[in-house]
Amino acid sequence: MTLREILNIIFLFVLYLALQILIVRNLVLFDVAFCFVYVACILLLPAEMSLSATLLTAFGVGIVVDTFYNTLGMHAAATVLMAYVRPAVVRFQAAQRGFDSRIVFSIHEMGSRNFFYYVLTLTFIHHFALFLIEANNVLLFLPAMVKIIASTVFTSVTIMLVQYFSRN
Amino acid sequence: MFELFQFIVRSRNFILFVLLEVLSFYFIINTNNYWSVRFFNTSNYYAAKILDWSNKAQEYARLRQVNTDLAEENRRLNTLVTQLQQQKPQAPTSYQTDSIFATRFQYRVARVINNTTQHPNNYITLDKGSADGIKPGMGVISPTGVVGKVKICSEHLSIVTSILHSDYMVSSKLVKAGVIGTVKWDGINPTRMKMLDISRNTKMYRGDSVVTSEYNAIFPSGLLVGRVIRVGEMPNQTFHDVTLSVGTDFNNLSFVYVVENKLQGEQEKLEETTEPERR
Repeated sequence: MTLREILNIIFLFVLYLALQILIVRNLVLFDVAFCFVYVACILLLPAEMSLSATLLTAFGVGIVVDTFYNTLGMHAAATVLMAYVRPAVVRFQAAQRGFDSRIVFSIHEMGSRNFFYYVLTLTFIHHFALFLIEANNVLLFLPAMVKIIASTVFTSVTIMLVQYFSRN
Repeated sequence: MFELFQFIVRSRNFILFVLLEVLSFYFIINTNNYWSVRFFNTSNYYAAKILDWSNKAQEYARLRQVNTDLAEENRRLNTLVTQLQQQKPQAPTSYQTDSIFATRFQYRVARVINNTTQHPNNYITLDKGSADGIKPGMGVISPTGVVGKVKICSEHLSIVTSILHSDYMVSSKLVKAGVIGTVKWDGINPTRMKMLDISRNTKMYRGDSVVTSEYNAIFPSGLLVGRVIRVGEMPNQTFHDVTLSVGTDFNNLSFVYVVENKLQGEQEKLEETTEPERR
Protein backbone atom coordinates (compact mmCIF):
# COMPACT_ATOMS: atom_id res chain seq x y z
CA MET A 1 0.00 0.00 0.00
CA THR A 2 1.22 3.46 -0.80
CA LEU A 3 1.28 6.33 1.69
CA ARG A 4 -1.57 7.95 -0.20
CA GLU A 5 -3.76 4.91 0.28
CA ILE A 6 -2.94 4.71 3.97
CA LEU A 7 -3.82 8.38 4.45
CA ASN A 8 -7.03 7.77 2.56
CA ILE A 9 -7.94 4.92 4.90
CA ILE A 10 -7.16 6.97 8.01
CA PHE A 11 -9.35 9.79 6.70
CA LEU A 12 -12.12 7.26 6.05
CA PHE A 13 -11.92 6.00 9.64
CA VAL A 14 -12.01 9.45 11.17
CA LEU A 15 -14.95 10.41 8.95
CA TYR A 16 -17.08 7.35 9.70
CA LEU A 17 -16.31 7.20 13.41
CA ALA A 18 -17.07 10.91 13.78
CA LEU A 19 -20.30 10.44 11.84
CA GLN A 20 -21.24 7.50 14.06
CA ILE A 21 -20.35 9.06 17.41
CA LEU A 22 -21.43 12.64 16.83
CA ILE A 23 -24.47 12.35 14.63
CA VAL A 24 -26.13 9.02 13.99
CA ARG A 25 -25.68 7.87 17.60
CA ASN A 26 -28.80 9.91 18.38
CA LEU A 27 -30.66 8.73 15.29
CA VAL A 28 -33.19 5.98 15.94
CA LEU A 29 -36.19 5.54 13.67
CA PHE A 30 -39.45 4.24 15.20
CA ASP A 31 -37.47 2.80 18.15
CA VAL A 32 -36.34 -0.17 16.01
CA ALA A 33 -34.06 1.09 13.26
CA PHE A 34 -30.59 1.94 14.55
CA CYS A 35 -27.84 3.19 12.32
CA PHE A 36 -24.32 1.76 12.70
CA VAL A 37 -22.74 3.49 9.77
CA TYR A 38 -19.24 2.87 11.16
CA VAL A 39 -19.25 -0.69 9.67
CA ALA A 40 -18.46 1.04 6.38
CA CYS A 41 -14.87 1.64 7.56
CA ILE A 42 -14.29 -2.12 7.56
CA LEU A 43 -16.36 -2.75 4.41
CA LEU A 44 -14.33 -0.22 2.43
CA LEU A 45 -10.89 -1.54 3.42
CA PRO A 46 -9.03 -2.75 0.31
CA ALA A 47 -9.20 -6.48 -0.39
CA GLU A 48 -5.43 -6.73 -0.61
CA MET A 49 -5.05 -5.86 3.09
CA SER A 50 -4.10 -8.95 5.11
CA LEU A 51 -6.86 -10.59 7.13
CA SER A 52 -4.91 -10.32 10.40
CA ALA A 53 -4.57 -6.58 9.97
CA THR A 54 -8.27 -6.30 9.09
CA LEU A 55 -9.27 -8.27 12.18
CA LEU A 56 -7.17 -6.10 14.49
CA THR A 57 -8.54 -2.94 12.84
CA ALA A 58 -12.09 -4.21 13.25
CA PHE A 59 -11.46 -4.94 16.91
CA GLY A 60 -10.06 -1.45 17.44
CA VAL A 61 -13.00 0.22 15.70
CA GLY A 62 -15.45 -1.92 17.69
CA ILE A 63 -13.81 -0.94 20.99
CA VAL A 64 -13.93 2.77 20.11
CA VAL A 65 -17.64 2.56 19.28
CA ASP A 66 -18.27 0.47 22.41
CA THR A 67 -16.62 3.17 24.50
CA PHE A 68 -19.25 5.65 23.37
CA TYR A 69 -22.17 3.26 23.72
CA ASN A 70 -20.99 1.96 27.11
CA THR A 71 -21.28 -1.62 25.82
CA LEU A 72 -17.69 -2.84 26.01
CA GLY A 73 -17.20 -5.89 23.79
CA MET A 74 -20.49 -6.07 21.86
CA HIS A 75 -19.58 -3.96 18.84
CA ALA A 76 -16.06 -5.37 18.94
CA ALA A 77 -17.34 -8.97 18.77
CA ALA A 78 -19.79 -8.24 15.93
CA THR A 79 -17.30 -6.20 13.93
CA VAL A 80 -14.54 -8.84 14.26
CA LEU A 81 -16.99 -11.51 13.09
CA MET A 82 -17.95 -9.39 10.11
CA ALA A 83 -14.31 -8.75 9.20
CA TYR A 84 -13.57 -12.48 9.45
CA VAL A 85 -16.35 -13.58 7.08
CA ARG A 86 -15.74 -10.72 4.65
CA PRO A 87 -13.28 -12.55 2.33
CA ALA A 88 -15.61 -15.56 2.11
CA VAL A 89 -18.61 -13.32 1.28
CA VAL A 90 -16.58 -11.48 -1.34
CA ARG A 91 -15.40 -14.74 -2.96
CA PHE A 92 -18.93 -16.13 -2.97
CA GLN A 93 -20.51 -13.01 -4.46
CA ALA A 94 -17.67 -12.60 -6.95
CA ALA A 95 -18.23 -16.12 -8.23
CA GLN A 96 -21.98 -15.67 -8.40
CA ARG A 97 -22.19 -12.19 -9.86
CA GLY A 98 -19.02 -12.32 -11.85
CA PHE A 99 -16.68 -9.62 -10.61
CA ASP A 100 -13.06 -9.76 -9.64
CA SER A 101 -12.63 -10.58 -5.96
CA ARG A 102 -9.41 -8.48 -5.81
CA ILE A 103 -11.40 -5.36 -6.45
CA VAL A 104 -11.53 -1.96 -4.74
CA PHE A 105 -14.80 -1.77 -2.85
CA SER A 106 -16.70 1.23 -4.18
CA ILE A 107 -19.84 1.99 -6.16
CA HIS A 108 -17.63 3.27 -8.94
CA GLU A 109 -15.69 0.00 -9.34
CA MET A 110 -18.40 -2.54 -8.59
CA GLY A 111 -21.56 -0.88 -9.82
CA SER A 112 -24.21 0.18 -7.32
CA ARG A 113 -26.12 -3.11 -7.49
CA ASN A 114 -23.18 -5.34 -6.62
CA PHE A 115 -21.94 -2.88 -4.02
CA PHE A 116 -25.37 -2.73 -2.37
CA TYR A 117 -25.57 -6.54 -2.10
CA TYR A 118 -22.06 -6.64 -0.63
CA VAL A 119 -22.95 -3.94 1.96
CA LEU A 120 -26.33 -5.49 2.75
CA THR A 121 -24.95 -9.00 3.36
CA LEU A 122 -22.12 -7.97 5.65
CA THR A 123 -24.24 -5.39 7.49
CA PHE A 124 -26.82 -8.08 8.12
CA ILE A 125 -24.16 -10.41 9.57
CA HIS A 126 -22.86 -7.61 11.80
CA HIS A 127 -26.31 -6.56 13.02
CA PHE A 128 -27.41 -10.15 13.49
CA ALA A 129 -24.48 -10.82 15.82
CA LEU A 130 -24.76 -7.46 17.55
CA PHE A 131 -28.48 -7.54 18.37
CA LEU A 132 -28.46 -11.18 19.45
CA ILE A 133 -25.55 -10.52 21.80
CA GLU A 134 -27.41 -7.47 23.08
CA ALA A 135 -30.70 -9.37 23.51
CA ASN A 136 -28.93 -12.17 25.39
CA ASN A 137 -32.22 -14.03 25.82
CA VAL A 138 -34.19 -16.50 23.69
CA LEU A 139 -37.47 -14.72 24.49
CA LEU A 140 -36.17 -11.55 22.93
CA PHE A 141 -35.40 -13.26 19.62
CA LEU A 142 -38.40 -11.89 17.70
CA PRO A 143 -38.03 -8.27 18.86
CA ALA A 144 -34.32 -8.59 18.08
CA MET A 145 -35.11 -9.88 14.57
CA VAL A 146 -37.31 -6.85 13.91
CA LYS A 147 -34.49 -4.59 15.04
CA ILE A 148 -31.95 -6.52 12.97
CA ILE A 149 -33.93 -6.22 9.73
CA ALA A 150 -34.95 -2.60 10.23
CA SER A 151 -31.44 -1.56 11.24
CA THR A 152 -29.80 -3.48 8.38
CA VAL A 153 -31.92 -1.62 5.86
CA PHE A 154 -31.33 1.70 7.59
CA THR A 155 -27.55 1.24 7.89
CA SER A 156 -27.15 -0.04 4.31
CA VAL A 157 -29.15 2.82 2.84
CA THR A 158 -27.14 5.32 4.89
CA ILE A 159 -23.85 3.82 3.71
CA MET A 160 -25.05 3.92 0.08
CA LEU A 161 -26.08 7.58 0.45
CA VAL A 162 -22.74 8.55 2.02
CA GLN A 163 -20.97 6.69 -0.80
CA TYR A 164 -22.97 8.46 -3.48
CA PHE A 165 -22.18 11.85 -2.07
CA SER A 166 -18.49 11.18 -1.36
CA ARG A 167 -17.80 9.56 -4.71
CA ASN A 168 -15.60 12.36 -5.93
CA MET B 1 7.72 -28.90 16.55
CA PHE B 2 8.22 -27.47 13.08
CA GLU B 3 4.82 -28.80 12.04
CA LEU B 4 3.13 -27.13 14.96
CA PHE B 5 4.81 -23.87 14.02
CA GLN B 6 3.67 -24.31 10.42
CA PHE B 7 0.12 -25.02 11.58
CA ILE B 8 0.07 -21.84 13.62
CA VAL B 9 1.35 -19.79 10.68
CA ARG B 10 -1.16 -21.34 8.31
CA SER B 11 -4.18 -20.80 10.57
CA ARG B 12 -2.99 -17.57 12.22
CA ASN B 13 -6.05 -15.69 11.02
CA PHE B 14 -8.43 -18.17 12.55
CA ILE B 15 -6.48 -18.15 15.85
CA LEU B 16 -6.46 -14.35 15.89
CA PHE B 17 -10.20 -14.31 15.15
CA VAL B 18 -10.95 -16.72 18.01
CA LEU B 19 -8.69 -14.78 20.38
CA LEU B 20 -10.37 -11.46 19.60
CA GLU B 21 -13.84 -12.95 19.95
CA VAL B 22 -12.93 -14.55 23.26
CA LEU B 23 -11.57 -11.23 24.48
CA SER B 24 -14.76 -9.44 23.36
CA PHE B 25 -16.98 -11.98 25.09
CA TYR B 26 -14.84 -11.76 28.20
CA PHE B 27 -15.56 -8.01 28.17
CA ILE B 28 -19.28 -8.59 27.59
CA ILE B 29 -19.76 -11.22 30.26
CA ASN B 30 -17.64 -9.61 32.99
CA THR B 31 -19.34 -6.26 32.76
CA ASN B 32 -17.46 -5.10 35.82
CA ASN B 33 -14.02 -5.98 34.55
CA TYR B 34 -11.20 -3.51 35.16
CA TRP B 35 -10.98 -2.42 31.52
CA SER B 36 -14.63 -1.62 31.00
CA VAL B 37 -14.90 0.23 34.30
CA ARG B 38 -11.65 2.11 34.10
CA PHE B 39 -11.15 3.05 30.44
CA PHE B 40 -13.66 2.05 27.81
CA ASN B 41 -16.78 3.92 28.68
CA THR B 42 -18.11 7.44 28.32
CA SER B 43 -16.50 8.56 31.57
CA ASN B 44 -13.19 8.29 29.77
CA TYR B 45 -11.71 11.80 29.62
CA TYR B 46 -11.43 11.98 25.83
CA ALA B 47 -14.81 10.33 25.19
CA ALA B 48 -16.45 12.75 27.61
CA LYS B 49 -14.72 15.68 25.94
CA ILE B 50 -15.96 14.65 22.49
CA LEU B 51 -19.51 14.12 23.73
CA ASP B 52 -19.35 17.50 25.43
CA TRP B 53 -18.50 19.22 22.13
CA SER B 54 -21.21 17.33 20.35
CA ASN B 55 -23.77 18.32 22.98
CA LYS B 56 -22.72 21.95 22.83
CA ALA B 57 -23.33 21.96 19.09
CA GLN B 58 -26.71 20.30 19.46
CA GLU B 59 -27.75 22.64 22.24
CA TYR B 60 -28.31 25.47 19.77
CA ALA B 61 -30.87 23.40 17.94
CA ARG B 62 -32.69 22.66 21.20
CA LEU B 63 -32.69 26.14 22.76
CA ARG B 64 -36.36 26.71 22.02
CA GLN B 65 -37.39 23.55 23.82
CA VAL B 66 -34.99 24.23 26.69
CA ASN B 67 -36.43 27.72 27.14
CA THR B 68 -39.95 26.35 27.27
CA ASP B 69 -38.93 23.73 29.82
CA LEU B 70 -37.21 26.31 32.00
CA ALA B 71 -40.21 28.61 31.86
CA GLU B 72 -42.40 25.72 32.92
CA GLU B 73 -40.07 24.83 35.76
CA ASN B 74 -39.94 28.46 36.88
CA ARG B 75 -43.72 28.53 36.98
CA ARG B 76 -43.73 25.52 39.26
CA LEU B 77 -41.03 26.96 41.53
CA ASN B 78 -42.75 30.35 41.67
CA THR B 79 -45.93 28.71 42.89
CA LEU B 80 -43.98 26.85 45.53
CA VAL B 81 -42.03 29.89 46.72
CA THR B 82 -45.12 32.05 47.10
CA GLN B 83 -46.87 29.25 48.91
CA LEU B 84 -43.99 28.89 51.38
CA GLN B 85 -43.68 32.65 51.81
CA GLN B 86 -47.35 33.03 52.48
CA GLN B 87 -47.29 30.28 55.08
CA LYS B 88 -44.68 32.11 57.16
CA PRO B 89 -45.32 35.86 57.02
CA GLN B 90 -43.63 38.19 59.49
CA ALA B 91 -46.16 37.89 62.23
CA PRO B 92 -46.61 36.97 65.86
CA THR B 93 -46.03 33.30 66.52
CA SER B 94 -49.63 32.62 67.39
CA TYR B 95 -50.70 33.75 63.91
CA GLN B 96 -51.57 30.80 61.70
CA THR B 97 -51.97 31.20 57.95
CA ASP B 98 -55.06 29.75 56.44
CA SER B 99 -53.99 27.18 53.86
CA ILE B 100 -56.38 28.50 51.23
CA PHE B 101 -54.91 31.95 51.76
CA ALA B 102 -51.35 30.63 51.47
CA THR B 103 -52.04 28.81 48.22
CA ARG B 104 -54.13 31.57 46.68
CA PHE B 105 -51.58 32.37 43.96
CA GLN B 106 -51.41 30.20 40.88
CA TYR B 107 -49.04 30.67 37.93
CA ARG B 108 -49.44 30.06 34.21
CA VAL B 109 -46.77 30.39 31.55
CA ALA B 110 -47.41 32.49 28.46
CA ARG B 111 -45.30 33.84 25.64
CA VAL B 112 -45.11 37.48 24.62
CA ILE B 113 -46.02 37.87 20.96
CA ASN B 114 -46.25 41.63 20.79
CA ASN B 115 -44.74 44.29 22.97
CA THR B 116 -44.28 48.04 22.81
CA THR B 117 -42.29 50.35 25.04
CA GLN B 118 -42.16 53.58 23.07
CA HIS B 119 -45.72 54.85 23.56
CA PRO B 120 -46.96 56.72 26.62
CA ASN B 121 -49.42 53.85 27.20
CA ASN B 122 -47.93 50.46 26.42
CA TYR B 123 -49.65 47.11 26.01
CA ILE B 124 -48.29 43.57 25.69
CA THR B 125 -50.00 40.72 23.81
CA LEU B 126 -49.72 37.15 25.14
CA ASP B 127 -50.36 33.88 23.29
CA LYS B 128 -52.71 32.49 25.95
CA GLY B 129 -56.28 33.53 26.58
CA SER B 130 -59.47 32.60 28.36
CA ALA B 131 -59.21 29.03 27.00
CA ASP B 132 -56.11 28.61 29.17
CA GLY B 133 -57.79 30.06 32.24
CA ILE B 134 -56.53 33.62 31.96
CA LYS B 135 -58.98 36.29 33.09
CA PRO B 136 -58.82 40.09 33.05
CA GLY B 137 -57.35 41.48 36.26
CA MET B 138 -54.65 38.88 36.74
CA GLY B 139 -51.08 40.01 37.32
CA VAL B 140 -48.25 39.29 34.91
CA ILE B 141 -44.62 38.90 35.98
CA SER B 142 -41.39 38.07 34.22
CA PRO B 143 -38.43 36.13 35.67
CA THR B 144 -36.86 39.47 36.62
CA GLY B 145 -39.81 41.50 37.86
CA VAL B 146 -43.32 42.81 37.53
CA VAL B 147 -44.74 43.22 34.00
CA GLY B 148 -48.33 44.35 34.28
CA LYS B 149 -51.95 43.32 34.57
CA VAL B 150 -54.24 41.49 32.12
CA LYS B 151 -56.67 43.94 30.54
CA ILE B 152 -58.64 42.02 27.88
CA CYS B 153 -58.85 38.33 27.03
CA SER B 154 -60.00 36.66 23.85
CA GLU B 155 -60.15 32.90 23.59
CA HIS B 156 -56.48 32.38 22.73
CA LEU B 157 -54.89 35.78 23.25
CA SER B 158 -54.79 38.37 25.95
CA ILE B 159 -53.69 41.97 26.22
CA VAL B 160 -51.74 43.13 29.23
CA THR B 161 -51.48 46.67 30.50
CA SER B 162 -47.76 47.08 30.94
CA ILE B 163 -46.46 48.88 34.04
CA LEU B 164 -45.15 51.31 31.41
CA HIS B 165 -48.62 52.85 31.26
CA SER B 166 -49.58 56.29 32.44
CA ASP B 167 -52.51 55.07 34.58
CA TYR B 168 -50.86 52.03 36.09
CA MET B 169 -49.68 52.09 39.67
CA VAL B 170 -48.09 49.31 41.68
CA SER B 171 -48.25 49.31 45.46
CA SER B 172 -44.64 48.68 46.41
CA LYS B 173 -42.28 48.60 49.32
CA LEU B 174 -38.70 49.75 49.86
CA VAL B 175 -36.98 46.71 51.32
CA LYS B 176 -34.28 48.41 53.42
CA ALA B 177 -36.28 51.46 54.41
CA GLY B 178 -39.41 49.37 54.99
CA VAL B 179 -41.71 52.04 53.62
CA ILE B 180 -44.67 51.55 51.32
CA GLY B 181 -45.25 53.75 48.29
CA THR B 182 -46.60 53.69 44.77
CA VAL B 183 -44.56 53.06 41.65
CA LYS B 184 -45.63 54.78 38.47
CA TRP B 185 -44.11 55.36 35.07
CA ASP B 186 -43.53 58.93 34.01
CA GLY B 187 -43.77 58.03 30.32
CA ILE B 188 -40.28 59.12 29.29
CA ASN B 189 -37.71 56.35 29.58
CA PRO B 190 -38.84 52.67 29.54
CA THR B 191 -36.04 51.68 31.91
CA ARG B 192 -36.85 54.30 34.59
CA MET B 193 -39.83 54.67 36.90
CA LYS B 194 -40.82 56.98 39.72
CA MET B 195 -41.76 56.05 43.24
CA LEU B 196 -44.33 58.35 44.83
CA ASP B 197 -45.51 59.05 48.36
CA ILE B 198 -42.18 58.57 50.14
CA SER B 199 -42.07 61.17 52.86
CA ARG B 200 -38.98 63.32 53.21
CA ASN B 201 -38.01 62.11 56.64
CA THR B 202 -37.55 58.54 55.38
CA LYS B 203 -33.91 57.46 55.24
CA MET B 204 -33.20 56.44 51.66
CA TYR B 205 -30.56 54.08 50.38
CA ARG B 206 -29.11 53.97 46.88
CA GLY B 207 -29.62 50.54 45.24
CA ASP B 208 -32.41 49.63 47.65
CA SER B 209 -34.76 47.07 46.10
CA VAL B 210 -38.36 48.00 45.50
CA VAL B 211 -40.69 45.00 45.73
CA THR B 212 -44.45 44.51 45.58
CA SER B 213 -46.07 45.14 48.94
CA GLU B 214 -48.44 42.97 50.94
CA TYR B 215 -51.27 45.40 50.17
CA ASN B 216 -51.22 44.27 46.57
CA ALA B 217 -54.21 42.19 45.56
CA ILE B 218 -52.94 40.97 42.22
CA PHE B 219 -49.25 40.23 42.88
CA PRO B 220 -47.70 38.11 45.60
CA SER B 221 -45.62 40.26 47.92
CA GLY B 222 -41.87 40.45 47.48
CA LEU B 223 -41.64 40.48 43.68
CA LEU B 224 -38.97 42.80 42.35
CA VAL B 225 -40.24 46.00 40.76
CA GLY B 226 -36.97 47.91 40.45
CA ARG B 227 -33.97 49.40 42.23
CA VAL B 228 -33.46 52.92 43.54
CA ILE B 229 -30.88 54.73 41.44
CA ARG B 230 -31.46 58.39 42.27
CA VAL B 231 -33.02 60.25 45.17
CA GLY B 232 -33.84 63.92 44.75
CA GLU B 233 -35.67 66.45 46.85
CA MET B 234 -38.82 67.96 45.50
CA PRO B 235 -38.74 71.67 46.47
CA ASN B 236 -41.69 72.82 48.55
CA GLN B 237 -42.96 69.29 48.87
CA THR B 238 -43.05 66.77 51.59
CA PHE B 239 -41.96 63.86 49.41
CA HIS B 240 -38.73 62.41 47.99
CA ASP B 241 -38.27 62.38 44.24
CA VAL B 242 -37.23 58.74 43.84
CA THR B 243 -36.12 57.30 40.49
CA LEU B 244 -35.96 53.51 39.98
CA SER B 245 -34.40 51.36 37.32
CA VAL B 246 -37.05 48.88 36.16
CA GLY B 247 -36.43 45.25 37.11
CA THR B 248 -38.03 43.76 34.01
CA ASP B 249 -36.14 44.16 30.76
CA PHE B 250 -39.09 45.03 28.52
CA ASN B 251 -37.01 44.86 25.36
CA ASN B 252 -36.23 41.18 25.88
CA LEU B 253 -39.52 39.84 27.19
CA SER B 254 -40.24 36.32 25.92
CA PHE B 255 -41.82 34.10 28.56
CA VAL B 256 -43.97 35.60 31.30
CA TYR B 257 -46.06 34.18 34.12
CA VAL B 258 -49.64 35.08 34.64
CA VAL B 259 -50.46 35.13 38.35
CA GLU B 260 -53.93 34.31 39.46
CA ASN B 261 -55.04 35.33 42.93
CA LYS B 262 -57.89 32.96 43.64
CA LEU B 263 -59.16 35.12 46.51
CA GLN B 264 -59.03 38.40 44.57
CA GLY B 265 -62.75 38.35 43.77
CA GLU B 266 -63.66 37.61 47.36
CA GLN B 267 -61.37 40.36 48.66
CA GLU B 268 -62.76 42.95 46.24
CA LYS B 269 -66.33 42.05 47.03
CA LEU B 270 -65.71 42.33 50.75
CA GLU B 271 -63.95 45.65 50.40
CA GLU B 272 -66.75 47.00 48.21
CA THR B 273 -69.18 46.74 51.11
CA THR B 274 -67.34 49.56 52.86
CA GLU B 275 -67.37 51.78 49.76
CA PRO B 276 -70.52 53.80 50.64
CA GLU B 277 -69.16 54.73 54.08
CA ARG B 278 -65.90 56.06 52.67
CA ARG B 279 -67.63 58.72 50.65
